[in-house]
Amino acid sequence: MSESEEDFDNWIIDSLKSYKDLHVFQMEHPINVMDWTSQKTVCTAGSGSSKSEILELCLPPKLFADENKSLCAGRDFTVLHGAFTDRIVSCLQHVPGTRCIVTGDELTSDLQVWDLGGDESDIIRRTGSIKGKSQVSEGGVRMATTPTHPPQILHGSTICDIHLTELNTGTTLYKNESDSAEPLSSLQFLNDRVFLASCCNGDVYIADSRMSASCRLSSPPESLDRCNLWWTNASVGPDLSSCRIISLSATGEAVVSDLRNQKNPRNVVSRAQLNLQTHQCNLDHVMLWWAPELKDCFSVSGFSGEVQIYDTSHWRTELQEVQPLFQHCGHAVSSTLSDRDVPPLVTSHIWHPSSPQTLLSAASDGSVHVWDWVIPSGPEPEQL
Amino acid sequence: MPEINVTPLGAGQDVGRSCILVSIGGKNIMLDCGMHMGYNDDRRFPDFSYITQNGRLTEFLDCVIISHFHLDHCGALPYMSEMVGYDGPIYMTHPTKAICPILLEDFRKITVDKKGETNFFTSQMIKDCMKKVVPLNLHQTVQVDDELEIKAYYAGHVLGAAMVQIKVGLESVVYTVSVNKSVQAAWIDKCRPDILISESTYATTIRDSKRCRERDFLKKVHETIERGGKVLIPVFALGRAQELCILLETFWERMNLKAPIYFSTGLTEKANHYYKLFITWTNQKIRKTFVQRNMFEFKHIKAFDRSYADNPGPMVVFATPGMLHAGQSLQIFKKWAGNEKNMVIMPGYCVQGTIGHKILNGQKKLEMEGRATLDVKLQVEYMSFSAHADAKGIMQLIRMAEPRNMLLVHGEGAKMEFLKGKIEQEFSIDCYMPANGETVTVKTNPSVPVDISLNLLKREMALGGPLPDPKKPRPMHGTLIMKENSLKLVSSEQALKELGLNEHQLRFTCRVQLQDPHSDADTLHRIYTHLKGLLKGYSIQHLPDGTVMVESIVIKVSSSSEDTNTKVLLLSWSYQDEDLGSYLSNLLKKGLPSGLC
Repeated sequence: MSESEEDFDNWIIDSLKSYKDLHVFQMEHPINVMDWTSQKTVCTAGSGSSKSEILELCLPPKLFADENKSLCAGRDFTVLHGAFTDRIVSCLQHVPGTRCIVTGDELTSDLQVWDLGGDESDIIRRTGSIKGKSQVSEGGVRMATTPTHPPQILHGSTICDIHLTELNTGTTLYKNESDSAEPLSSLQFLNDRVFLASCCNGDVYIADSRMSASCRLSSPPESLDRCNLWWTNASVGPDLSSCRIISLSATGEAVVSDLRNQKNPRNVVSRAQLNLQTHQCNLDHVMLWWAPELKDCFSVSGFSGEVQIYDTSHWRTELQEVQPLFQHCGHAVSSTLSDRDVPPLVTSHIWHPSSPQTLLSAASDGSVHVWDWVIPSGPEPEQL
Repeated sequence: MPEINVTPLGAGQDVGRSCILVSIGGKNIMLDCGMHMGYNDDRRFPDFSYITQNGRLTEFLDCVIISHFHLDHCGALPYMSEMVGYDGPIYMTHPTKAICPILLEDFRKITVDKKGETNFFTSQMIKDCMKKVVPLNLHQTVQVDDELEIKAYYAGHVLGAAMVQIKVGLESVVYTVSVNKSVQAAWIDKCRPDILISESTYATTIRDSKRCRERDFLKKVHETIERGGKVLIPVFALGRAQELCILLETFWERMNLKAPIYFSTGLTEKANHYYKLFITWTNQKIRKTFVQRNMFEFKHIKAFDRSYADNPGPMVVFATPGMLHAGQSLQIFKKWAGNEKNMVIMPGYCVQGTIGHKILNGQKKLEMEGRATLDVKLQVEYMSFSAHADAKGIMQLIRMAEPRNMLLVHGEGAKMEFLKGKIEQEFSIDCYMPANGETVTVKTNPSVPVDISLNLLKREMALGGPLPDPKKPRPMHGTLIMKENSLKLVSSEQALKELGLNEHQLRFTCRVQLQDPHSDADTLHRIYTHLKGLLKGYSIQHLPDGTVMVESIVIKVSSSSEDTNTKVLLLSWSYQDEDLGSYLSNLLKKGLPSGLC
């Protein structure tokens, strides 16, 4: 048996205790972006050399079979709908409350609007587009949605070109006025009107989309190195003051801050130096998420072939090295890439919205994993 | 235009009754003859009335080919051959021939004895049906008759499963149920069938890896053993049993587990027997194990004795039959069912009427013989290890085989517009998805190879005029001889010689009047210059005997007796140069341009 097969076998045996459920799939093209379209369905976009394939997949029935789980043999994804596009899709967002998704590509700041369709057909149809307002920055366009009627999409690639557009009419409902051309690393709604615009240099802006005022800068903590590259994610709580922000730099420095004092600079709650095992120069696929159902836990991927989950509950304000609570190494050990010198990179991962420890992850070798991990023994994070 | 017709037979849209009719080159072939497990009446059989409304099928079918032993592909065979009536050859691979009758008999017993059905084939019918079977070897061309030939290739789906290539003349069809991706299908690269037919039941799925299925199996076994429970795995002798054994053996070794694993003896003997017979048909892993050590001399797996079932403590037992409908597996099940620490793992589909089917439907109380009820407290696990091709598999299959057309057979009525579009876009071929009873007609464009004699080829090439453009057809003279199976194009002289006939020459002569004040010789010279300027690439000669020759066409000039300015041109050509001759006569009728010298 080859060394790599042995590694994979070892990992599978270890996984008997460390995962409740594990599914490993191989797609034809690596998946770059994913978003949930319901509790059991996910939309993905994977790209070959010049085209992207958008799929709406139904999760394996066995994962969610509840009482009859043991009698359910279905371990496979079902392709519900699909479409092709001539662009390389670099971001994808499902519009909540609709059967629409919006995609963006790397080259332009234009957005494509699609209708996933129902039972009558398995084709995803393009229903329209939203013209980009400016040249796209290096990172590509960012998007965010929140359940609203009629459906809207927040999009932009730099601070000065953030727009909120009504999907059906294309009307601009909000536009940020700013001179700064700082590229965005993410956009995120904190409630149905307030959103966070995070920049690659670590700056975070807050705005209310119903007011015409510009985004207000919530200055980063003084210690944040603004020459570094930063990613940010906010945990959404019952009110803004309970919102926690996790910021991560390209060199692995993680800072947890909050908006409780509404003061500048932001209040630092804790920080740590992560062991990211970076061996990649390409940081276009970094993803950072707070776990939706596990308190104080967040996940990070895009630096290597692993997805790491950290528990921040025991972090302190002084910087110290921490180890992840859990690491999903499946992509790295099961790689089918022939060139072992270029290990796969995790391109995307998402948490299931309600199943506390279920995640979906995809890597540059075309693999897609669905995994339900077991919290290693020790103090367990609270479930929210 | 020649065409191939494909019709999936069957009266409903449900999955499970594979039977496809192919008409190619005047031959009719039936591919598979499956039973639908969900119906209790005649709907479970394919609808043969499509072939003929009354009577036997023998004269309408040239042969029947069975791809593998699963009942949804061969279950209706005895019904078709003995109850509807077919006496022609039935082709299948050796392992399929060995295994089919066992499965058919098992199935018959369950259906008739357990469910009390009457309109069903008998044991004798199964035997009579199998007498009509002609076994196939891999890669061996079989001449069904002087025009139809078939060839089987390894498909890797289950033991004995084959992909079949059907050829009549230069038209061919390839039929496959599934292709295991580990199959080295090098032959397929040269194949390029007119139509590739594949099942598409799982075409809209993306399959979980085999390793994860195995992981789930190991996890369940391990958890049961750890809590002191017993695991029963009912298997068919040649299903996944051997692979699962190898898996457990490796796992036991690695985890240093002590609980015993048993394999019932009946199983061992049968399996050993079949595997020895069909060693070339097994996959790499099993073959390696078989070669390294005799099949069931595992370290941790021992022969079962029925008394062991009462031993306390954890254990794992593989026993037949696979659907818990009788025999040893049912005996063990009855003993273990009442304890919730125990587990039964069903590794495949169970036919309606069997205990396996009932417990997989969640039934907790079972009626046994003598009105006794059995409480099912043990854990029931359903695991599927079947190896059908998924969406990606189908794309890979098409990529390897490079068919001119693709045909997906599915009984589900599932929408597959997306897959169809994907195939059409990526491979630029048509993709058909006929419903049951619907005929697809695919026009083929077979090329007809003809040999040309070297002399004829050389002569045609030596002829003047524009060089033959391979894309533009050019008329040539020759004779087509069809002898035995070959087509030959030879020169007319050659053909006449072969036939022993004399050649006759045919010449045309034409007179053209021309007004020209010059002398005859000068007029001739002017004609020569004119033609030389116009007909570049042709051989034009002004001969000393007072003629102009264009290729082999002779032109002479003489004056009219009444008027020396009226010239009479005599053109003469043989019938082979009719085109050029007519052209020249029309050209010269128009007269000569004035600027010539």
